[in-house]
Amino acid sequence: MHQDNKMGDVLCSWRCRTQRPWSHPDSFQEQNVVERFKWQRQGIPFGAATSYVHLEKLCEGSCATVFKGISRINGQLVVLKVIRLEAEEGVPFTAIREASLLKRLKHANIVLLHDIIQTKETLTFVFEYMHTDLAQYMGQHPGGLHSCNVMLFMFQLLRGLAYIHQQHILHRDLKPQNLLISCLGELKLADFGLACAKSIPRQTYSSEVVTLWYRPPDVLLGATNYSSDLDIWSAGCIFVEMIQGQPIFAGTSDIHEQLEKIWAVLGVPTEDTWPGLSKLPNYNLELAASRRPQRLQVICDRLSRVSAAEDLAFKMLTAFPRGRISAQDALLHGFFSPLPPQLYQVPAGQSVLTVPGVRLQPEICDLFASYRKGHLSGGSSKFW
Amino acid sequence: MKCPGPPESSRLACFLENALAREARIWKVPVFQNLTLKGTDISLSCYKKVVLWIAEISSRFQFYPETFALATSILNRLLASVKAQLKYLQCIAISCLVLAAKTNEEDEVIPSVKMLAVQSGCKRSPAEILRMERIILDKLHWDLYTATPMDFLDIFHAMVMSNCPHLLHGLPQMNPSRHVAFLTKQLQHCMACHQLLQFKGSTLALVIITLELERLTPDWFPVITDLLKKAQINSTDFIHCKELVDQELMRLQPSNAVYIFCPTRHAIQGCPKARLPYHGPLGLRNSLQERVRVAVNQPVLAPFTSTAAPVPDETVETDDYYDGFRHLYREEGGGRVSAGGLCPQPRAGGGSSPCPPLQPPDRDWGRVAAAGAATAEPVGPGEQSGRHNRAKVLSEDNDV
Repeated sequence: MHQDNKMGDVLCSWRCRTQRPWSHPDSFQEQNVVERFKWQRQGIPFGAATSYVHLEKLCEGSCATVFKGISRINGQLVVLKVIRLEAEEGVPFTAIREASLLKRLKHANIVLLHDIIQTKETLTFVFEYMHTDLAQYMGQHPGGLHSCNVMLFMFQLLRGLAYIHQQHILHRDLKPQNLLISCLGELKLADFGLACAKSIPRQTYSSEVVTLWYRPPDVLLGATNYSSDLDIWSAGCIFVEMIQGQPIFAGTSDIHEQLEKIWAVLGVPTEDTWPGLSKLPNYNLELAASRRPQRLQVICDRLSRVSAAEDLAFKMLTAFPRGRISAQDALLHGFFSPLPPQLYQVPAGQSVLTVPGVRLQPEICDLFASYRKGHLSGGSSKFW
Repeated sequence: MKCPGPPESSRLACFLENALAREARIWKVPVFQNLTLKGTDISLSCYKKVVLWIAEISSRFQFYPETFALATSILNRLLASVKAQLKYLQCIAISCLVLAAKTNEEDEVIPSVKMLAVQSGCKRSPAEILRMERIILDKLHWDLYTATPMDFLDIFHAMVMSNCPHLLHGLPQMNPSRHVAFLTKQLQHCMACHQLLQFKGSTLALVIITLELERLTPDWFPVITDLLKKAQINSTDFIHCKELVDQELMRLQPSNAVYIFCPTRHAIQGCPKARLPYHGPLGLRNSLQERVRVAVNQPVLAPFTSTAAPVPDETVETDDYYDGFRHLYREEGGGRVSAGGLCPQPRAGGGSSPCPPLQPPDRDWGRVAAAGAATAEPVGPGEQSGRHNRAKVLSEDNDV
């Protein structure tokens, strides 16, 4: 099915390049010839499958396939997320949420939704092209990232989060795979399929959100009244992972095991450190009653090498949800003090990389690789 | 609901500002002319009935009130941008609810389209509903998030509660969450009223809060002036809207009383008592299975055909609920409600209810809805292709 679409698109673009009139049998059946020519003269339309050329397949998920593509409208590289429509349930709720939320969010650190194409069996979202994502980037640079790059990525992550939280939107699925990175080092939040707009009085939400490793302890305990603190926990996990090179609470596939991992680091909370703890649905801390908190840097030794990193991580990874720092406050944390102050004046739609002196630093292993003229883990051709 | 303290006020102001911006961006409502929706065969009463029907289905599935409001907002925006035929109105309405549920409800709560089609009694196949879903998404450019009147009611209510936490002190059994649930029902009725359609959700919500405050406290004026200013609501609009809402609520009070209790009652019947959470109707959401059971047990159109006030259950929650309202009205003896001689006392006297025989204006809705569905049946667009169908269902309104 997707192959057919792909072939059709390639065919159409070829026709156009050779200056032949379009004769795609389905898409323009109802348009008369005059209108077809008018359209062609005015430019290629948005919303049409023929306006994009599929290049290679990037990845395949449970309900969508992602292709790299080129827009024939402006010649830019794009990402085409082809969503299969279910015969029974129609447009997946994730697609509806993602589209209607992204329509509202315009920010340099939020992925840009260019276009939506509906065909009979599929739905294609056209996004701006980003070279890689944080998961791949970390995979290509094992052992922790350059501290300047951690600062740069983290600042952008928090900037995007501060923006969506200000709009009262929760992402609810932050993980390295959902943070896209451009070759310049721009970071953008993507995949808003689980995101939601919160309202007053606070609705209760699903506790089946966020990949287990990045899920905060309150939600693991069944809390359904979470707020922006949910995303902050996930961002805190990602922060430590970037510095340390390893996910901080990884390797589990079970809620209790996940909580154990967290208590092993943060200590077991009590009603004193976390008011309301015992009222949470899955509260049962008898088994782990003796754990005491440790310093984060005991678990993650690299945290101590970066000034103020441990303190920021500690403030983001606070078990008591209301005790977690907000994205807005985290941006003002001392950890970011080495960055130029102009960063705080950059308008929402503009990338922080436009500030002079702010740029992605080569990672240590890349330098090492170029020194040896080898190709360690992809080396310089690390992007897709 | 947690009652927000003073430090919350800036957060609430931020919520309001945000909601106003969203409303300003895509607020759009259809225009009525000569008793029908401009350029269509949809009459005022059909419009009203379809909105109340969405409300009914929405509470049947125990969706949040915000989901009903979002569905209505989607419906209004669609009717404002296309010329829809009456025979498709019900299909459009149920599709709007499907979209609102997919947008606003959690995954585990969203019923299957098939179930929604069957339980709503809309006589539409899931395929038709799904085709309509895509048409609506296309027409509205996938831009569904907006600030509904319900969002504004929640915000204004939270603001009032945060400024005057003592407001409900004279009303034992009434807490902010029950209070807002009560106002929500009033708002639902106003949203079905075509005369009120011309007013923005922010205006309508503030009017409902104002009328309520007028009854609760002599000091309502400064509170409302402050909110009017914060919400930048046009005072002429506000006064006009207030008069209309006042009339509407006076007329609707009896049927309103019936309407209020039905969903809650069913919810309580459907849920094991032990699982009832502490905080009122917002907590009455349980697993989908329970919802399904609720839906199966109750024929959908029953509340519309019933003229008798419901006999309350023995459940504590229900009693609290009734008592809350009774106190509310008793305290306000000669107020707006009793002015028409229709003081709702749905519970008074337990079994032998001295309630006046209720003649809700929307009583005949069930019959009309069924008739509407029947007239739409012969068209049967089941085999048509989506695009073809779209061309037939909706003709573009170029003026809008």
